[in-house]
Amino acid sequence: MRRSGAPRTGPDAGAAAMAATFFGEVVRAPCRAGTEDEEEEEEEGKRETAEDREVRRQLARKREVRLFRRQTKTSLEVSLLEKYPCSKFIIAIGNNAVAFLSSFVMNSGVWEEVGCANLWNEWCRTTDTTHLSPAEAFCVFYHLKSSPSVVLCQCSCYVAEDQQYQWLEKVFGSCARKNMQVTILTCRHVTDYKTSESTSSLHSPFLKALKTQNFKEPPCCSLLEQPNIVHDLPAAGVLSYCQVWRIPAVLYLCYTDVMKLDLITVEAFKPILSSRSLKGLVKNIPQSTEILKKLMTTNEIQSNIYT
Amino acid sequence: MASRYDRAITVFSPDGHLFQVEYAQEAVKKGSTAVGIRGTDIVVLGVEKKSVAKLQDERTVRKICALDDHVCMAFAGLTADARVVINRARVECQSHKLTVEDPVTVEYITRFIATLKQKYTQSNGRRPFGISALIVGFDDDGIPRLYQTDPSGTYHAWKANAIGRSAKTVREFLEKNYTEDAIANDNEAIKLAIRALLEVVQSGGKNIELAVIRRNQPLKMFSAKEIELQVTEIEKEKEEAEKKKSKKAT
Repeated sequence: MRRSGAPRTGPDAGAAAMAATFFGEVVRAPCRAGTEDEEEEEEEGKRETAEDREVRRQLARKREVRLFRRQTKTSLEVSLLEKYPCSKFIIAIGNNAVAFLSSFVMNSGVWEEVGCANLWNEWCRTTDTTHLSPAEAFCVFYHLKSSPSVVLCQCSCYVAEDQQYQWLEKVFGSCARKNMQVTILTCRHVTDYKTSESTSSLHSPFLKALKTQNFKEPPCCSLLEQPNIVHDLPAAGVLSYCQVWRIPAVLYLCYTDVMKLDLITVEAFKPILSSRSLKGLVKNIPQSTEILKKLMTTNEIQSNIYT
Repeated sequence: MASRYDRAITVFSPDGHLFQVEYAQEAVKKGSTAVGIRGTDIVVLGVEKKSVAKLQDERTVRKICALDDHVCMAFAGLTADARVVINRARVECQSHKLTVEDPVTVEYITRFIATLKQKYTQSNGRRPFGISALIVGFDDDGIPRLYQTDPSGTYHAWKANAIGRSAKTVREFLEKNYTEDAIANDNEAIKLAIRALLEVVQSGGKNIELAVIRRNQPLKMFSAKEIELQVTEIEKEKEEAEKKKSKKAT
């Protein structure tokens, strides 16, 4: 980091480029050749104090992804899927996807909590990362008591870019999982959807799918067309991991114009109920709709901005 | 690319978009649905009532407002922006009456509101109004009118239209069901408005508010009971239609 305007003496000064501003002063224009100043830069920039190191360490600790069992308050020694191997792993990321799984899948059968991921980043509303109340636990893992090979993840927090790898490691572990199928549900705003047709003809919310090479089943909706890309944990994390380790995985992405918890958006996930991974898990659809409606009314934040 | 052209309202993007105006139209979609229908002797405005907090006074959460004795409007979008626009329109209605001794025509006041909105799309440092409005009323010549304005400052006359959340669904319903029979008399026009809203309103009649203006009569707001009556009639008609269909099938 060079201080601008500092007088330069010595053999280097002559070689630097000069430029005049409107006000007549002559300033040094940054030289892109970059060869003369390397020594100085190394001295200045890389002089890291112990304080810098300590700050960096504290920040890393704060942003660490911790996986633990809430009932026993002990952290998991191995990755989650090593401890609870499964054949079906269903992940919901984002509040609408989470609401869908809560109302349609989790109300049929008894689900036991097997782990909880605790993490902090700038998007989190709380600053105290050590004493999170049960309502604030962001990323919770469950398995079906009657069939423990089905594992569900409800992730309602945002996992930042630097935390995604840690999350994957703590959940999937670093070895390939055999005989597992992964289903990911998430939402995105419809303004992210790139298409050559007119946006006024798009009927949002709508569902799009993206799958790994090993996923052989036909997906429940049309595939995501190019040049659209999927962001963050669902794609960069989970789907990429599954593609690399040849795990059959499918991502169902709901494009919606309402990013907060919304009944119509959640119901747009309904076609997935006919997929092989979810079919056996959903028993009572009318009751699920009732539960969903209740969830909507309890979560409605009274906002008077829009009428 | 959009992120470099939505800072200042006065900047066009290279492909000719005014992004702030388009974003304002997104804000309109966050408001609850409003539908307007122009009948032969009646104009109807129906809105989806927003759920009111327990301690909030319901009378202060209104989507349908009278601008003058013979003109009223419903809006969708930012509440505060609507309040400002409505106040200016009301003042203009009275100012017009005092100056030219005639009440405003529906088109005049719509043009006034649209011009006001357009001004805010061309000044620097100001953002557009985030509301769309449905303006209805009768002119002195006795002809019913329905106009719609949007944040860009355009206005058009419509036979029937909807704004706000799920407006597209309601508009499609209206395109299918707005026929000469459907607006044959006042009651039918009112029922059409309610049926259009029931397409998108959850939990039925108790979340609907309705207002009508009949020729030479002031604005009339329907009570909850009257709306319930209409809703039961509509449901009865639906059942009968379905029974007829199943009879025909067998």
